[in-house]
Amino acid sequence: MGGLGALAWRSLAAAPVRSVLTVLGVALGTAVLVATVVTADGADRAVDLAVTDAVGRADLTVGAFGDASFDRGAIEQAGALPGVAVAAPSIERRTYLLPDLTPDAGADGPVAVLGIDPVLDPQVRSMEVIEGSALVRDDEQSALVSHTFADAAGLTVGDPIELLGAADAPPGTGAVRIVGIVRGDGPVAGAAGRTVILPIGTARALFGVDGATRLDLVLEPDAEPASVADELGAALATPYVVTTPAELAASLRASTSDFLATMALVAAVALFAGAFLVFNTLSMTVTERAREVALLRAAGATRGQVVSVILRQAVVLGLAGGIVGLVLGVLLAALLAGVVRAAIGLPALLAVSPVGLALAALISLGVTLAAALEPALRAGRVSPVEALRSRADQGRRRRAWILWLLGVAAIVALAVLILGRGLDPDEASRQLVAYASLVALALLAPVVAPVVGRLVGLPFAVVAPIEERLARGALARDPGRTGLTVGALTVALTLVVALATVAADARRSASAWLEGVVPGDAILVAVAPIPLGEQGPTPEIAAVDGVERVSPIATFAVAFDGFRLDAAAVSGADLLADGRLTFVDGDRESALAALDDAGSVVLPASMLERFELDLGPGDRIELQPGAGPTVELEVAGIVERGLPGRGGEAVLVGWSDATAAFGVTGADSLAVRYADGSAEATAGAVADAARLYGLEPVPLAEVRDAVTQALGRIYGLLDILALVAVAVAALGIVNTLAMSVVDRVREIGVLRATGMTRRQVRRMVVVESGILGGIAVVLGILGGLAVAVLVSALSGEPVAVPAIPWPTLGLVAALGLGVAMLAAWYPARTAAALPIVRAVRVDPR
Amino acid sequence: MTLVLEARDLTKTYRLGSGTVEALRGVSLAVQAGEFVAIMGPSGSGKSTLLQLLGGLDRPTSGQVVLEGQAIAGLADDPATRLRRERTGFVFQSFNLIPVLDVRENVALPFAIAGIDARRGETAKRVADAIALVELTGKERHRPDELSAGEQQRVAIARAVVTNPAILLADEPTGNLDYSTGTEILDALWRSCAELGQTVVLVTHDAKAAAYADRVLVVRDGRILDEIKLGRRTEHGAAPLIARLAQVGL
Repeated sequence: MGGLGALAWRSLAAAPVRSVLTVLGVALGTAVLVATVVTADGADRAVDLAVTDAVGRADLTVGAFGDASFDRGAIEQAGALPGVAVAAPSIERRTYLLPDLTPDAGADGPVAVLGIDPVLDPQVRSMEVIEGSALVRDDEQSALVSHTFADAAGLTVGDPIELLGAADAPPGTGAVRIVGIVRGDGPVAGAAGRTVILPIGTARALFGVDGATRLDLVLEPDAEPASVADELGAALATPYVVTTPAELAASLRASTSDFLATMALVAAVALFAGAFLVFNTLSMTVTERAREVALLRAAGATRGQVVSVILRQAVVLGLAGGIVGLVLGVLLAALLAGVVRAAIGLPALLAVSPVGLALAALISLGVTLAAALEPALRAGRVSPVEALRSRADQGRRRRAWILWLLGVAAIVALAVLILGRGLDPDEASRQLVAYASLVALALLAPVVAPVVGRLVGLPFAVVAPIEERLARGALARDPGRTGLTVGALTVALTLVVALATVAADARRSASAWLEGVVPGDAILVAVAPIPLGEQGPTPEIAAVDGVERVSPIATFAVAFDGFRLDAAAVSGADLLADGRLTFVDGDRESALAALDDAGSVVLPASMLERFELDLGPGDRIELQPGAGPTVELEVAGIVERGLPGRGGEAVLVGWSDATAAFGVTGADSLAVRYADGSAEATAGAVADAARLYGLEPVPLAEVRDAVTQALGRIYGLLDILALVAVAVAALGIVNTLAMSVVDRVREIGVLRATGMTRRQVRRMVVVESGILGGIAVVLGILGGLAVAVLVSALSGEPVAVPAIPWPTLGLVAALGLGVAMLAAWYPARTAAALPIVRAVRVDPR
Repeated sequence: MTLVLEARDLTKTYRLGSGTVEALRGVSLAVQAGEFVAIMGPSGSGKSTLLQLLGGLDRPTSGQVVLEGQAIAGLADDPATRLRRERTGFVFQSFNLIPVLDVRENVALPFAIAGIDARRGETAKRVADAIALVELTGKERHRPDELSAGEQQRVAIARAVVTNPAILLADEPTGNLDYSTGTEILDALWRSCAELGQTVVLVTHDAKAAAYADRVLVVRDGRILDEIKLGRRTEHGAAPLIARLAQVGL
């Protein structure tokens, strides 16, 4: 058997280029898998870290609703509750840095400010100051900034910054000096690390809050969190929400699940393409060495021994690919860390868990072996008589490879599911359906390949008729091989197209959503609630020349059926006048009038879907404010999309209900609509007026860009991974063409003897590859669009014609053809360099 | 008589492992237009190497090959390829045809490679004539795998003569075939020579095949050992040749 082991090794060494390409293919497939695992583990750790940073040792976090706050009496009462050891108050707000002192810092959007009690807070949170010192007095004009933010904005200890405060804050309240820098993103989750920490007294003055917006409670060891939560009701008059660290972690994880699931899909496809490469390589070995195998059998080797020779080769390929893939995968994950951060809003930690890596390596080896099984069994079936023939039988393979494809596809899916543990089941099943349809497409590819190939060949036939004719003939000779090659590339390209289509759809609907519902060209974001009524900024800004309308909006949270929902207080008259909102049920005019009249609510269609409600105008619905009695409202209408809230679309209520029943004290933003044609001139004047009132103007276009850019980053990352799958498929093309050249050594010799130039031979191979690529492009584009529609249908959105991302389709076409023709370079060169004399020998090998 | 092909003192040395093998050790010959010349010898005598050099498939280590007055031994690949396409025709022992092309397309292959549309006009007629010469009219649409081995070789001959080459080079064209099929091939080669005036150089180890030639060059150990002039005959009995070969000790 030792001798047979050497045979396996030699057989790989005899075709070094092919073996190396295969190892590379397996390595790339494994790399994407490893990158997925590392990223998923990293996201997990990042969530844990973010939770620790945010709540520390607190067992319960009590947040005030919307813009409300707890007064000092309530804080003292909460601290005195039985079972509560420490009650640390804090103020959490978003604001902006004034650009005068830090011109670079303001451009990237708001910063999260956390006002803490310098004495109590360290008992709850361990904030690690890595430079400078901690805060000492609760009213000093000092600040800590997160390391992330300090890096991004170029801030160091000793630098002055000025924060935008409430309009009635005493002048200079926001001017603070940085005294220290805290590790990582700082203690506010979901702020992407743009965090500033102030003493609570300074924060109170700055935002006009008396008391705190949040209480972190550390309980006595024997206290029951549930009973303490119950007691809180009596102590706090203000509406509030109680969250436990576990709930916070769950909500952070939910935001990463979508992204990780798609990454798992891409990993599955890359791994699948790698498996195909292994299959192709070993098939070639079996075909090429059929005579050798037959000789072995004639010399007395058992079937099992022959099968084991091939499987040993697979083990070598799988192990080598796995090891290289581990390294590449970790590098890939490190490379993607920045993009991942933008995608999931958490620091992307490079968590290299040995178990995960070992599992990934094992899976890549398993998939390699599974891919090798069919060629190995085929080798076992080679009869000793074959030794007398010059070439092995090539036919009757279609059924074998269909079975192979299904088998390997199932194993890959299973493997990725095991690794993708902790995925949301809905997400996982959606990705599984997408994956299944990709595999189905790969199955379909060989069936339609001849027809599509004829079409795709037409342009080549114009330039190089005889080369095209011969190339097409070569592809038709081994339909199984052609099918698998096309299949792998098709699946990879399909993935690129599907991702691009879904991304284009997401971008389109994100911008359409914003423009369809927001009644303004600019949003003025308030740091503290804007009082309604005759005084204050609303009438002042409405009076600016060129401003047509100013509409106050407040977003807050309500509970429905035990779930947190976003709600928005709006002016129905303004929305009606501005022509926003698309009603799918109910009369627009009367519904918007009803909002202003109180007692009514307008629901977004997505809410009905989410809770499977069958509500229409006239039905009644109960919403629960943070505290206080349940509010019953009449449904006035259903809109296609509601206003954007923090975590989804908001239900819309009128201002009178919002202030009377939901504890809303003022608007948190003003939507400003400019009169026709006056946008540019007006924007400046509005911005000036807004700053007087502590409002930060944000043009709607900027909000839209921010949304689409964030989406672009996420899909860009996935695209990179999908491109790796394309690269693996390209390696498959190299192998297939090399095999096709080996198959045709004789034929190429005859062609050369008949007067075909080297250039023509090269062209013939390149055209062959071009046709392969062309078929994959056509199928990939059609398949990609279909998969995109399927995925969006599965996610419960109404099925619509997808926004066809034309530029991407063009790129995919260029990519598919380009990659295929590039892959032809090496085989084409080999073919052209064949010495005629050797090629026309009776036995060319 | 016009001189078509001339070889001057050809040598060819191969590297084999650490040593070298001298396949040809100084061969000179001349072929006149319209002649049917056979090169005969046992396997390993260097006769196939000689044919490959004559057709420009390979380059000699030293010496020169002159085809229609043009020295071809030192040609770069492109002009050599052009020469093969336009001035020579090859028939190999087996696997001569492109399996994905039918009979007609295989015969028209040199035109297709040259970018000439062989479906109409003068070229189409030449293709049809070549197919008629090898008596395969009616089987134009057949694929190689639908033909007998003899028919496949005849298609190869038709392809070799279709461009009206200066010389047709055949390397053991009957080597893989039984007696009667072999005769079929040799008859076709003979017709191309007798009816079209095609110059033919045939390499064989078989005296029955060589007996079709006007002149037989006997090769051994990389040298021309003898030349046997048979003259043009309509009867191709091998007896006179075999008697002469016995005299030179073969």
